[in-house]
Amino acid sequence: MPRVTGDFDSALESIQLTRRVVALRNAYFRAIPEICGERPILLTQYHAHEQLFGKARITPLEKAKAYRYVLQHRTPVVFPRVARDRELQAFDIAETSLFIGSTTSHFKGVQLYPEMMALALWPELHSVSTREQNPYYLDAGTRDALNRDVFPKWMDESMLELARKRPIVPGEPPPNFDLFELLVFFIASKPNCVSHTIPDFSRAIGEGLQALILETEAHCLTAKTQQQAQFYEAMGVALQGIIAYSHRLADEAEKQAEAAREPQKTELIALAKLHRRVPESKATTFREGLITVWMCWTALHLENANVGLSLGRLDQLLYPLYRADMDSGRLTLEEAVELLCCLWLKIGDHVPSVPESGEKLFGGTGSNQAITIGGVDRDGRDAVNELTYVILRATELMLLRDPNLNARYMPGTNPPSYLKRLCRANVRTRATPALHNDRAVITALMAKGESLPNARDYGIVGCVEPSSAGRHYGHSGALLLNLPSVLELTLFNGHHRHTGLSRLISTSTGDPRNFESMDEFRSAFTKQLSFMAREATNVNNSLGQAYVDYYPSPTLSALFEGPLQKGKDISAGGASGNSSGVTIIGLADVADSLSAIERLVFGEPKVPFEELIDAVKSDFTRHKALLARLANPKLCPTFGNEDPLADGNARWLVEVLDSAFSAYKNVRGGQYRVGYWTMTNHAGLGALTLAMPSGRRARQNFASGITPRSGTTPELLAALHSVASLPAASIGNGMALNLKFVPEACDSASLERMVENFRSIVEGYFAPENDNPGGMEIQFNVTSSDDLRHALKNPEELKTLLVRVSGYTAYFKDLPAEMQQEIITRTQYLLSTGHSVPTARISIQPDAGIEASQ
Amino acid sequence: MTWLKQQVLRALRFLFSDKLARRLACLLSRGLVNHLRGEATNGLLQLLLGTMDTAFLLVGSYRANIVGFRATYQFRTDDGAVVAVVRFADGDMTYEHAGTANADATVDFKSAAAMRRFLFSAHQDILESLKLDEVHVHGNLNYVYKFAFLARDLECRILGNA
Repeated sequence: MPRVTGDFDSALESIQLTRRVVALRNAYFRAIPEICGERPILLTQYHAHEQLFGKARITPLEKAKAYRYVLQHRTPVVFPRVARDRELQAFDIAETSLFIGSTTSHFKGVQLYPEMMALALWPELHSVSTREQNPYYLDAGTRDALNRDVFPKWMDESMLELARKRPIVPGEPPPNFDLFELLVFFIASKPNCVSHTIPDFSRAIGEGLQALILETEAHCLTAKTQQQAQFYEAMGVALQGIIAYSHRLADEAEKQAEAAREPQKTELIALAKLHRRVPESKATTFREGLITVWMCWTALHLENANVGLSLGRLDQLLYPLYRADMDSGRLTLEEAVELLCCLWLKIGDHVPSVPESGEKLFGGTGSNQAITIGGVDRDGRDAVNELTYVILRATELMLLRDPNLNARYMPGTNPPSYLKRLCRANVRTRATPALHNDRAVITALMAKGESLPNARDYGIVGCVEPSSAGRHYGHSGALLLNLPSVLELTLFNGHHRHTGLSRLISTSTGDPRNFESMDEFRSAFTKQLSFMAREATNVNNSLGQAYVDYYPSPTLSALFEGPLQKGKDISAGGASGNSSGVTIIGLADVADSLSAIERLVFGEPKVPFEELIDAVKSDFTRHKALLARLANPKLCPTFGNEDPLADGNARWLVEVLDSAFSAYKNVRGGQYRVGYWTMTNHAGLGALTLAMPSGRRARQNFASGITPRSGTTPELLAALHSVASLPAASIGNGMALNLKFVPEACDSASLERMVENFRSIVEGYFAPENDNPGGMEIQFNVTSSDDLRHALKNPEELKTLLVRVSGYTAYFKDLPAEMQQEIITRTQYLLSTGHSVPTARISIQPDAGIEASQ
Repeated sequence: MTWLKQQVLRALRFLFSDKLARRLACLLSRGLVNHLRGEATNGLLQLLLGTMDTAFLLVGSYRANIVGFRATYQFRTDDGAVVAVVRFADGDMTYEHAGTANADATVDFKSAAAMRRFLFSAHQDILESLKLDEVHVHGNLNYVYKFAFLARDLECRILGNA
């Protein structure tokens, strides 16, 4: 099967947004999200009726029946006709999508999961429609239903409370939820979701759900235990729910067709026909393949809060259907792009529910639904195909936060022209796609036990986390570790200034003022890290066990490799591969602090530890000379400048973190994998953290992802080389290197030069050196600081301005103020020189074809 | 609240419509209204609990929030001293100034200002609360969310500060 036909133009510049998509996209940006009460109300009713509240265990079959009930009773929204704007005024949506159905009952909705963290919105039920940052419309009827009928039932039944009430797991110390709830040490995300994985759509597309149901029935007959038989039945019931929902949409489309005029009448009848065929039967066209994915996607969202649930390698999965349609003349490139644009809007038809405090600390996020394109196939061959470019073009035209596009690149196998095309897309969109080096990622996954073919078949989950697609259940966002807190506990002998120096948080590792060597300090740091790793994994495991007992996922299990073979729910370890992910916040800040201690306290000329501790306690107000010394790279080196001491400290941290978390297993029997992507947490957790030995002042943002600290790396190539030298094998959970480039394209010739410089920079960063497979990941903002400041002053004018946070993309206007400032002050580079330029510099405006978004 | 006052308020709720009862509750809540309009923080919890108690007794639509709700809350100051223990049972609310070991949720505030920031949306600054580490919750957070809703519902529906 040809992957790229001879006359194919990968730029696809002649393809533009259709009138249908422009209208839907405009409505999408005009609409604010509306809270949907259907799922919580239906689920609560079902749980009450079936007496599931208060049960010691909820089986997969009971859960599957609950989800089937919701799918059988939720409103089949064919085309949402009305939405609300920021002034809460209703407006009509005249245009119709090429897809029907929705994840909520609204055009743009907020799904609520009372079994998770939805109750955190309870205090805001009166104010959420009008809150300053990212409001959600809530009608009075839904508000009253949530307050009276839904939330009270779940007060003792949410995942966190169920985990807290659980008896201690034999052989394990009791989980310390206090440390988690203090936020400043680590954050466990399981009370809010698991998600963070890539389902396997290949069988749903290739065989249809009815074939999968028949297979579950066959397994049921030969099951070894009653429990297994029930589990197989549960998967069948969950799949029946998806088919039922698709049929109900078909019914509703037919009903609406009776009263519709042409051409919509024909369109509705065609849609009804499609939904009667798929996902029940195998998809035979590109559009049917997309509908199958979409129907499964809506069901998965009903089962599990959507945070980082990702679609995987759609260009590989759907290419045979695309190719067949193109070859037969059933599909044109324009139609393929339009279908994807409509699907992108559907995928982004909901946002996660975030309470006001969450918005202030960590706001602006979408659901982080990653799509992966390009790279190599399971045999190591070039997997870039025409659909790769079609997906890229749709993304380029739409400029949406969700889905989060990630592009794989295998140096030497994928064509350099493909990499150049990816760089051009980044200049056009200013922020997407993120680029992943296949060689480094495959090395990292194999170091964690993946086979070579499975490692090659990775997709990106959520932000940047690699995972073997459809078979590895990774919950890559399980834990966020605030690494500066580990340093704080080392500096203050087990105490933390945030919780007060009179309260012992961890174990005493000695007063560092008495330490005689850097090795002694490292040893104390490692002990504090081990303590925190144990506490964090313990909390996560406790929550994981609560999922096994109360929150099995029969729908996801049915759409995954492993549960059918093992006869076990995915939450209990049914997937072929299992792991949990930890992401580290503040790596560069801690690395630079270690370098400062090593150079200043244990180097020459000496600064007494007493003085350094006094300096951080006083936020350097009494130690201006010391602060100046810390800011001088000749006296105190920092990570990202190819300095052996500073880069060595970063490398040591990456290895010691991997080792600390690898010591623990999750409840599914999988490893903990460590990664470096911070989303907006480097701003939120930075706001909770006081001054550090690196010279970082109190409450300032931490560096993002694995990126060196802003303003400390004047040379782009040195920064890239330092990051690329970190050991990929210890970074199994992905990383985000965030770079900011000043647009330099004033005309087509300078645009070409910029794109070529861009490509060669990435190629160099991805190049292997000695034993190192090259830099793993890189992502960009191609917007100058001045342009961002302009957007800050004119949020409505530039409401669709997309920025790369640290992992996912976001609309700049939706971010909390601290995060906006962090992006503005990130080091910015000129690609033409490779030098940084002051963040106050006036930029050259790009001519990059982004007028559609602004 | 005295026993006699409770009985009088209970009797009034049968005589007044919900709208009238809300007006009366508002009149009886002037102390809290004035408090919320100003910046003062001393005695806010006492005023809040007193106003809630009155509103529960008088206003059926507000009382509906606690029908079937059983819970015990404990509010403490930073030094560990108990400010109030609040109990909800059988559609009623009671509070006293004594500690309990059986609270569903215990909330420790560093200061009255911290409590104000935490409970009232008009002055909500949770980021500041977190930065200053000035509110600690022990126990089930969902109970705190419920209580915060009751406080804001009072503010919005009874006092008209929506």
